[in-house]
Amino acid sequence: MTMTRHLRLIALLLPLWLMHGYAHAAAEDTGQVSSKELPVDITAINPEREVGYHVGDVLTRTLILKVADKYELLPTSIPIPGNQKRYRNKEQGIEIYASDLKHEHSGDQNIYTLRLSYQVFTSSIVAKPAALPPEFVKFTGEGQLYRVRLPSWNFRISPLAVYGSVRIEKDMSQFRGPLLLDDKRQQLTLRIALVVLGLSLLGLLYILGNRSWLPRMGGPFAKAMRIVRKTPQDAAGVQLAVSSLHQAFNQHAGHSVFTAEEVLAKLPQFGVMQAEIQQFFQLSRAVFFDAKAPSSLNEPAHVWLRKFSRRCRDVERGLK
Amino acid sequence: MSDRQLADWRKEALHLQSEVNQVVVGQADAVRLITTSIFARGHVLLEGDVGVGKTTLLRAFTRGIGGGYQRIEGTIDLMPNDLVYHTYLGDDGRPHVSPGPLLSHGTDLAVFFFNEINRARPQVHSLLLRVMAERTLSAFNREHTFPHMLVFADRNQVEKEETFEIPSAARDRFMMEIPILVPADLDIMESLIFDTRYHDVDALVNQVKPDILQFDQLNQVAAEIQSSIQASPTLRRYALDLWLATRSPADYGVKIEGVDSKRLVVAGASPRGIAMMMRAARVNAWLNDREAVVPEDIHAVFHETVAHRLVFSPIYEMRRTEIARELLSQIIHAISAP
Repeated sequence: MTMTRHLRLIALLLPLWLMHGYAHAAAEDTGQVSSKELPVDITAINPEREVGYHVGDVLTRTLILKVADKYELLPTSIPIPGNQKRYRNKEQGIEIYASDLKHEHSGDQNIYTLRLSYQVFTSSIVAKPAALPPEFVKFTGEGQLYRVRLPSWNFRISPLAVYGSVRIEKDMSQFRGPLLLDDKRQQLTLRIALVVLGLSLLGLLYILGNRSWLPRMGGPFAKAMRIVRKTPQDAAGVQLAVSSLHQAFNQHAGHSVFTAEEVLAKLPQFGVMQAEIQQFFQLSRAVFFDAKAPSSLNEPAHVWLRKFSRRCRDVERGLK
Repeated sequence: MSDRQLADWRKEALHLQSEVNQVVVGQADAVRLITTSIFARGHVLLEGDVGVGKTTLLRAFTRGIGGGYQRIEGTIDLMPNDLVYHTYLGDDGRPHVSPGPLLSHGTDLAVFFFNEINRARPQVHSLLLRVMAERTLSAFNREHTFPHMLVFADRNQVEKEETFEIPSAARDRFMMEIPILVPADLDIMESLIFDTRYHDVDALVNQVKPDILQFDQLNQVAAEIQSSIQASPTLRRYALDLWLATRSPADYGVKIEGVDSKRLVVAGASPRGIAMMMRAARVNAWLNDREAVVPEDIHAVFHETVAHRLVFSPIYEMRRTEIARELLSQIIHAISAP
């Protein structure tokens, strides 16, 4: 009986011992991969959206690996472009498109930035779940070889077109945004219409404002002043200047005015320049009707007229 | 005639004006216009209500001008020959013919005063057409001339019975039609009532110094005034615009309330009328001691020289005085110079 119990124990332990011995022998054969877990800080920066990818799209993710500086990443262990993961011996249609590794050393850490791009080579008539597959990279250090798994990332591949007839109320996928009509043309039309409307309103404002942009701007004396400023300094120029100022007085009074007294009675705001207005009418008489009429100007007529027109414009604008 | 002589004549003119203003009060504008007309050698028609001093005013001027003076009253039975001659039986029992008012002073006739001209028949108006325009008359187989004659006439617009409308051709011969209104000054009105000086018209008129002007030199002075007072191109253009505006006021934006401007004027001022206006404007400039006419000179005589020449559509004739004054004021306001 005791003998039987010993045989059973031996039969139980023998396979365990044999398995342990095989495993130990295998470790010693490859020599480097440690069963210990390497303390690597992995930060994954994945694509912003998880849906809406089609065949041909390229997805890029960045993995930042921080590890103690006594460990180093084996560059030969990073994924090879063109490689495609298989599941149950079936290609998944997600292929490594590019890989890029950068290395920095900061403090007592090695920082590896691994940028992996995958291209989608599969499609479906309905939305299909897919994943950027997990990848394995290797580190060495202290005579050991460590294998580190980079996590996978799930996303969905959309069909290129809706297959068959779709009842939209039964196809309210939360992963798909609302269907938008292309309104660029209408937006452009609206913008043009708004610009035209704005210009029209400005034009209307200009017309309603008596063809001036600001109140009291563009009055008869402002126009006369512009003419006076441009007139030549000869007799014809003086005549034109005086005539322009007469027209301004007439426009302000609402009818023709012929004397300073008429102007002052009709336009009391010009009372502050009574003496100048009398001088102006004297000058006008001398220029147009009676060359022998006395003139009280102390400077050339065209100079005086420029000052006078400016002063009239100021009074017209409410300045004293 | 020298400038100095013209200056002396101006003093005489202002003296005459002053003398008349002393006996006819409150009519300074009318006195000025009649003075202007005398030196422009134009006939004058006074228009106003009864008893406002029209006759007194003209008599006062007549005394100041000097020369021959004749007066005739317009009546419905007045005939043209009454102005030329009258017949009577003399003491010898034989018929006699003697010169009428127009001929009695010969060439020395200075003032022919036609009182209430609108009571005379159109035949008389026709005679006056020639006398006023040409200052000649054919009678007794020869031509009579009145080179120094001015016709002063008056009419009242109130009475319409037994009166005749003066035809436009006769009106056009008058240089001015001057309205005579009751003075607006209350002090003057009071003195006209209570100051006995104004009650005796003959005595009042006799207060005017006689023969202030030398009537037989007035034509020469007038010609000298017309040639010495200048009118610039700008002023000529202004006068032309005024004339055109009297012919078609609507084209110049003239609007009168309640009046269709396009249908108002049948005939505007005549060339003779505008020429008379300019003669009067030149005299006004001379009286104001200027050597050139300015727009204010035209304004001073515009209404009085133009209003009576306008011919309105019949529907507006009843409001003639009011519409003419408004029309001419609007024209002055509408046209600028320069």
